Amino acid sequence: MIFYIGRRILGLLIVLIGVTILSFIFSSISPVDPAQAYVMKNIPNPTQEQIEAVREELGLNLPIYEQYYNWLINCLKGDFGKSLTTRNYVIEDIFKKLPATLSIVGMAMLWIVLITFPVALICAVKKDSALDHAVRIVSIIGVSIPSFWLGFLLLLAFAVFIPIFVVVDFGSLRSLILPSLTIAVPVICSLTRMLRSTILSNLNKDYVVYAKARGLSNSTIMSKYVLRNSLPPVITALCQSFGYMIAGSAIVENVFSWPGLGNHLIHAIFGRDLPTINGAVLILAVIFVICNLLADLVNNLINPRISI
Amino acid sequence: MFRDIIKNTQAMVGLTILLIIFIFALFAPYLAQNDPVDVNPVLKFKEPSSNYPLGTDNLGRCVYSRLIHGARYSLFIAIPILFSLAFISIILGTITAYYGGLFDKILNVICNIFMAFPPLIIVLSLVGSLGQGMINIAVSVVISMWVWFVRVIRSYVLEEKNKQYVISARISGCSDFRIILKHIMPNTMPQIIVYFSTGISGIILMISGFAFLGIGIEKGLPEWGAMLSDGKSNLYSNPQLLIYPGVCILLTAAGFNLFGEALRDIISKEEG
Repeated sequence: MIFYIGRRILGLLIVLIGVTILSFIFSSISPVDPAQAYVMKNIPNPTQEQIEAVREELGLNLPIYEQYYNWLINCLKGDFGKSLTTRNYVIEDIFKKLPATLSIVGMAMLWIVLITFPVALICAVKKDSALDHAVRIVSIIGVSIPSFWLGFLLLLAFAVFIPIFVVVDFGSLRSLILPSLTIAVPVICSLTRMLRSTILSNLNKDYVVYAKARGLSNSTIMSKYVLRNSLPPVITALCQSFGYMIAGSAIVENVFSWPGLGNHLIHAIFGRDLPTINGAVLILAVIFVICNLLADLVNNLINPRISI
Repeated sequence: MFRDIIKNTQAMVGLTILLIIFIFALFAPYLAQNDPVDVNPVLKFKEPSSNYPLGTDNLGRCVYSRLIHGARYSLFIAIPILFSLAFISIILGTITAYYGGLFDKILNVICNIFMAFPPLIIVLSLVGSLGQGMINIAVSVVISMWVWFVRVIRSYVLEEKNKQYVISARISGCSDFRIILKHIMPNTMPQIIVYFSTGISGIILMISGFAFLGIGIEKGLPEWGAMLSDGKSNLYSNPQLLIYPGVCILLTAAGFNLFGEALRDIISKEEG
């Protein structure tokens, strides 16, 4: 187990180094001269000397690998520079916005766990029943629906026609419900179908026949054997979707005017605020990588065979 | 196989929806009676009439004509993206899975690195640096998705590679090229088509999401996501402006998903 974790963490380090290189490449292929952009924020018509002075000050005249090295060292210190639009430190802005995003995604995870497992289990047990078919149709619609549109439909239904919620609301627990549902629905739909089909394929395995032959009750077989063996792919997908939802929150946050990290990133893109974009992208990637690692570790605990 | 598809209701519903949308996209200028970008402020928020079958929007543009033209953007951006992804992933996925070795290992590390970024984030970051524009969006989507496609194709080929018939073909002296082209490709193709069919609905949703955020698509163009974004300020007074384009996106994505999923059922039944 310890060996396994060590190997995973080594792999993680390689991936993280790659992630920083890739983020650095993404940020440096911009056709806009960053030195010029930086000067233009302060001086409307800069002279060539002023631009060159800033270029030297920001270290943009160094060879690319030295720039990367300097950038990496700063990133490790948590210093992504100052935002070009808000003029705060990028890292401070990000940590100010992150809790709002995490609260939606956390609530969405709750919906997903509460809905996916019972529904998938019932559908698998009552395969080809009317309920199973209904769930199948709903989930195909659910994965095909644009999340921003779903958000508007929910707003239209529950804030305009039946005013239970307020359209622009932030802070209370109630305000979390609509955005978190919007972000959770596509994940619930795809995970339900996935869990249903894994359970069904596990039901045909020899160990189920053996358990039946031993005279165990159906509910014991389901809960103790089948469900447990069907979990690994779902847990991997669940952890990945956590990372996805944090990234995908950009669109939903825009619909609900939610002051989270996703909205912050969109504003940064429109303001061509490169330091903020890079910082946010790097932090989101790190969160995503950690989620994937957690998925592996949890699977390993539940089902130790995988590591062998 | 084709007989199975025709007998399958779900596959046919999906295909019919797709066919209708393709007809809309191809013959948009003939089917739409008004210019989709013609602004006419005098006529704003008109009720449906014979001239404007679905009424007009906040700038007096014909909603029906805009919806018809919108099919072009969704399909004609998503399809080239899918073809580029298919080209890259089939070549790289098949070769690395078939030959293995160092190249496979290197590609594996690259895949892990790219997969550390959710595709949406790569696109946002690239558009942030490259700037707006439809081509930039398309290129960014390809860069963000190719590793996922390569991984999937690679896993299909890996599974196929060790089957009896491939080994027999090799023993009977088939060249690698022939084995890949004549034996592995045809046998993995159904699975690949299923994956691409559900993949393109994801791409369509992604593109319309960007258009909704105002990324990539020029303002005023009749793209469905962009129309939704235009309509959001009239959420209370004219909710239909939000509902129509959403239904169009939903139907297009559902068409591909219905067809893809039905095809998957048919294939898994054939394999027993």
